[in-house]
Amino acid sequence: MPTDWIWGLVGGLMIGTAGAAFLLLNGRIMGVTGVLGGLVDGTERRGALPFLAGLILAPALAAALWGGQSHLTGNLSLVALAGVLVGFGTRLANGCTSGHGVCGMSRLAPRGILASLTYILAGALVMAVLRQGLGVL
Amino acid sequence: MRRLTEFLAGALFGLGLWLSGMTDTVKVQGFLDLLGAWDPTLAFVMGGAMLPMAAAWALAAGRTRAVLGAPLPGPARRDIGPDLILGSVLFGAGWALVGLCPGPALASLTYPGTRLAGLVFLVAMCGGMLAAKPLRARFAAPLQGSLMDIRHLTPDYAVSPQITPEDLPTLQALGFTTVINNRPDGEIPAALSTEVMKAAAEALGLTFVINPIRPGDFSDTVLATQGAAIATGKVFAYCASGNRSSCAWALSTPEDLDIDARIAIPAEHGYNLEPLRAMIAARVG
Repeated sequence: MPTDWIWGLVGGLMIGTAGAAFLLLNGRIMGVTGVLGGLVDGTERRGALPFLAGLILAPALAAALWGGQSHLTGNLSLVALAGVLVGFGTRLANGCTSGHGVCGMSRLAPRGILASLTYILAGALVMAVLRQGLGVL
Repeated sequence: MRRLTEFLAGALFGLGLWLSGMTDTVKVQGFLDLLGAWDPTLAFVMGGAMLPMAAAWALAAGRTRAVLGAPLPGPARRDIGPDLILGSVLFGAGWALVGLCPGPALASLTYPGTRLAGLVFLVAMCGGMLAAKPLRARFAAPLQGSLMDIRHLTPDYAVSPQITPEDLPTLQALGFTTVINNRPDGEIPAALSTEVMKAAAEALGLTFVINPIRPGDFSDTVLATQGAAIATGKVFAYCASGNRSSCAWALSTPEDLDIDARIAIPAEHGYNLEPLRAMIAARVG
């Protein structure tokens, strides 16, 4: 839809403001991989629970009040495979779209830029092959 | 207070993901579908998010502490290894398969209609993160292969106990340009002598500053040398424990830090500079 990019821009500004506050107030990089991964494997639990609680509860409330759909596929084996790839990959690379993308690229970090280019290209390649090529996605 | 701001940052992040459409897997997959009906929304989200974030990095640049007291992150890492590339390839592939990355996976966890699949994704993702732990350690090994314990007093000045020549490439990868040895040769094992370290550092293009300090002997010459070196860029200093390198910093750094900060920052890393308070006060004024 033609207005989607406006919502994207406004939502993006909110995401960036959240990251700015997390950095300037708490001294932390707002990377979900780092926060969640540190909690899961026990390497860094500081501040993870309040942050993750906000991240889950606020959109839950917004979706309940004003609607929200993830359109996530019900194919559970595909979902599980994707989840393992995303968890393993982001943790190995030390970051995802928030840490490497938003926080890393905005400080012109070479690792953030290279990682972001890599995961977008890999994602686009998978899309090109599985959806446009084989028509299975 | 810290917990409240952590919660609010998470909440604002989640609302931004919700409003921008990034919790909708169709829009994310649409962005990656370059050959199909391409949806550019994600690019606007990323661009919008980078504006306040870039301003925040600019604001953080001259500081060592966040508003609530925690240290700010050090300089960005510069080392690029196979873990970064391989991990990003696997992540990108999984991201495209169903259109979820870690943030939106959490933000959309309780959306109606997809709760079971969302939960399955979260559990699988956490499992993947756990599975990466041993591999993370292995890739980190060459970088942190030594027992080097880097303690950042500021983003541009760090100290540690004695290092070895094998540590120097790591320091270089972390962006340090100058290494200061604050130990007199008499107390160093021959294999790690000033001459050995200097040759190894200069072979890598690092500036090596010889500034030996006998315990407690912070002469004007020593402090002038340390202060001048600190002003040159990203500087790493070592001695036996890091204590003398911290004291020399507190007594000589040209940064605009008051007496309390010059004592409190090393204290965070276990260095007690209280006995030097009068001396610091005399120099900082």
